[in-house]
Amino acid sequence: MSNAVPPSTSVIATSAAADEQPTGVGALRYLLVKLGGAAISMAMVILLGFFAFKILPGDPVASVARERGMSAEQAEQLREQLGLNKPLWQQFFDYLGNVFTGNFGTSYVYRTSVAELIGDYFWNTILLTGTAAIIAIALGLWLGQKAAWKHGSTFDKIASGTSLVFWSVPTFWLALLLLMVFGGTLHWFPTGGMVSPNPPTDPIGVVLDVVSHMVLPVVTMVAVVYAQYLMVMRSSLLEEMGADYLTTARAKGLREDLVRRRHAVPNALLPTVTLVFMHIGGLIAGAVTVETVFSWPGLGKLTFEAISGPDLPLLQGTFVVFSAIIIVMNLIADLIYRQLDPRVRRA
Amino acid sequence: MRLAPRSRTVRSLAAAAIASALLISAPVSAQARTVSAATESPAPDTTLRIATSGFVDTFNPFISIYLAPTNVIRYVYESLVQNDAEDGSPTKGLADSWDVTDGGQTWTFTLQDGLEWSDGEPITSADVKYTYEQMMTVPALGTANGNLVSNFESIDAPDEKTVVINLKTPQAPNPGSEIPVVPKHIWEAVDDPTTFANDTDVVGSGPFVLESYAANQSIVLKANETFWRGAPKIDRIQYVYYTNSDAQVQALKAGDVDLVTGLTPTQFDALEGVDGITTHSGEGRRYHSISINVGQQTRDNVPYGTGSEALKDVEVRQALRLGTDTKTLLDKVLAGEGVQATSFIPSSFPKWHLSDEDDVIVGFDPEAAKAKLDDAGWVPGADGIREKDGARLTLRLLTDAEDVNEQSIADFFVPWMKDIGIEITVESTDSDTISAKAVSGDYDLYFSGWSVNPDPDYQLGINTCTNLPTATDGTGGTTQDGYCNPEFDEMYAEQRSEIDPEKRQEIVHDMLALNYEDTAQVATWYANSLEAYRSDRFTGFTLQPKETGIIANQAGYWGYLTVEPVEGATAGGTGTNTGLIIGGIVVGVVLIGGVVFFLIRRRNIADVE
Repeated sequence: MSNAVPPSTSVIATSAAADEQPTGVGALRYLLVKLGGAAISMAMVILLGFFAFKILPGDPVASVARERGMSAEQAEQLREQLGLNKPLWQQFFDYLGNVFTGNFGTSYVYRTSVAELIGDYFWNTILLTGTAAIIAIALGLWLGQKAAWKHGSTFDKIASGTSLVFWSVPTFWLALLLLMVFGGTLHWFPTGGMVSPNPPTDPIGVVLDVVSHMVLPVVTMVAVVYAQYLMVMRSSLLEEMGADYLTTARAKGLREDLVRRRHAVPNALLPTVTLVFMHIGGLIAGAVTVETVFSWPGLGKLTFEAISGPDLPLLQGTFVVFSAIIIVMNLIADLIYRQLDPRVRRA
Repeated sequence: MRLAPRSRTVRSLAAAAIASALLISAPVSAQARTVSAATESPAPDTTLRIATSGFVDTFNPFISIYLAPTNVIRYVYESLVQNDAEDGSPTKGLADSWDVTDGGQTWTFTLQDGLEWSDGEPITSADVKYTYEQMMTVPALGTANGNLVSNFESIDAPDEKTVVINLKTPQAPNPGSEIPVVPKHIWEAVDDPTTFANDTDVVGSGPFVLESYAANQSIVLKANETFWRGAPKIDRIQYVYYTNSDAQVQALKAGDVDLVTGLTPTQFDALEGVDGITTHSGEGRRYHSISINVGQQTRDNVPYGTGSEALKDVEVRQALRLGTDTKTLLDKVLAGEGVQATSFIPSSFPKWHLSDEDDVIVGFDPEAAKAKLDDAGWVPGADGIREKDGARLTLRLLTDAEDVNEQSIADFFVPWMKDIGIEITVESTDSDTISAKAVSGDYDLYFSGWSVNPDPDYQLGINTCTNLPTATDGTGGTTQDGYCNPEFDEMYAEQRSEIDPEKRQEIVHDMLALNYEDTAQVATWYANSLEAYRSDRFTGFTLQPKETGIIANQAGYWGYLTVEPVEGATAGGTGTNTGLIIGGIVVGVVLIGGVVFFLIRRRNIADVE
């Protein structure tokens, strides 16, 4: 049936189709501008990735050899192994060459390739934050639209209120609290890591083992971030609620929840999409705290340890990777938003 | 009508999902039980699980410099001479006995009979010769322990059981200790020993050998059945990674791990009296001090740095000591978990430690401190801060903003100093800035400390003039406090070649007393190492030193060598089963929820159409 498509979209789509010609050029320019912006940001990140970590005080060799009682010859040996005896400009070109070949040199601490380390940890972070992101987005959007539809109701007050409370709770504190109660005292969930010290060997056991390790960190992350999705969905739907097309839909005799789900919500989703993509980048970067508390072997924990090292090549690597994720996510948000919202296309 | 078959598919899918979700939770516990029962010998209750957050660079004993792998290497490779559990003095290792000739310049070791590598190959003098010569000839293989062989001239292996170390100069510290000996037949076959990770199929000679390693997740050691002192009483040691130390405490409480080390006093107190857990406060091998800038200079006496002129006067430095109440610091800052310090050799090495009874030791005495400052010509000004030739007695103290102890010490230290007429300005910064400033001599006072080995030679050596930096940026040498006293250097040379242990002990005490009087530092305490373990599961740890010492981080392999499972102890980690069950429930709920969602959705769409 034709009314499955919200009328508003079809109306705007037709009018957009009317100025096909300028849109094509506009689209290309829009794409180039956004891509160019992303490329410049990335270049800045790469430059900063080198110089910011070079001007930090302290001698990497001294830190690595801390309390080790090394002779001057041994320290020199180590300096050579780490490539620190080369002049700064040469180190910079080595670094540039490395970055463009997807390599970040050798970690001071782990003595293995930074790219490999990041590769190993990357998917663990994606698993954890991805799960948390999906749950937080689903929960936030679902509660958000419900709250908006019944705005002012007790449901609205409770849903918005609790989400804001969780949002303002320090992540570290909430994570530790969950760890102490459900890990240490009740022992319902493991106290850390991604797999048990003696993991099961059968496939189902392995999956369940990882899931049980994921519960506490995921709950922490969801609790802390779902409020932002809830609030944006809520306010965005509130704006739609007075719109004429909803009256039309109701006039057609559609049930109230269908009016909401099939007509109001899709339109209210537009601003939310941008937000979601922008926050996925932030969520991954925000994994540092949660991964550190729950000893989850991901990029966040790797970064935390690189800081305590300090392991400069590894820090450069995680810095560039985190920044790249955020830049790419913002770029995707821009492009998708343009695709979804014709008003941006015409502008 | 077309809809009907589709919704039937959905419904049967749902049924299948619910059924499987229910099935999942049932076999979980059964399966978890099989893990403990089915595996042949290594039942989980003979695996000692230790919480760690330590960095691992590599398990290659030639180049590994971090604490965690170095500790593992101690368990994997026996050295020629071992540090005794009693007091760290040299005792049997691979070598049964040793002879010192040429006034300490030639050391001849005789290996024990019938020694075997963990793969069954015999251990011979060729292995020792190979190991030492690699370190002496390949610079990259000297990264970890190069300083221990720097005095080695050559190594002879006249027969399978004899190793002769020819030294450049006579030395009293046993040259066979602290160097892990690797199997020649394995390492010779390695293409590039300098990059060899050595983390799988390791062949060793210590009580345990490395079985597996997963970066940042776990390190597993298994018992070496052919270890010469006899196989350990547990099957495995597993280091489990916890980034956060509070998480480690929770893991111990939950029974996820059996041993936790490096606790803070607060964590330690919280674990006291917990069922099944025993806390242990052991004398550590680390000293803590307030390092004083005595006037940094290079080996060629070129001064550098920004140290206060006042501190070049020994009387001012002694006044700092007299005005510092280390007893109060120990009690209030460290909650008494430690020993009041005298010098930079901790009391856990009683043979070398400078006794509290020594004549030079002074107590907390602000009046005497004031008298010293008076003698030095510093007279109190209008506000009580002393002055001399128009200069105020103001000193900078660097503190690490992240170190709670340093902040607390400063809170006591500043008023104490004000009391005797010294103004202290506290500069709170980060640890990297502090180490950079310490190297370049850009400080008056900062908090310092080292972990000390059973033989004091190294620690004494870095207090000699010959170890001062070569450049005015503070590089080119390792110095503990920038200390330089020719008299101390003379005694250092003397003790290094004094083969008679008692005479050597006496010289070392004299050196520490001299350093104490010169006051290049005020040693505050030897902090105890706070540990806790599941005493309902394990017992029989050997401490080092034997009476008051520590379990983990020993200068030896005694701690886990003798540990044994408590009889009738249940396998730990029952909660992991709970976790698995709940994991199953979570998966089940997600599946059911998903199916229900799609069912409802289908129905609604059907409604619209």
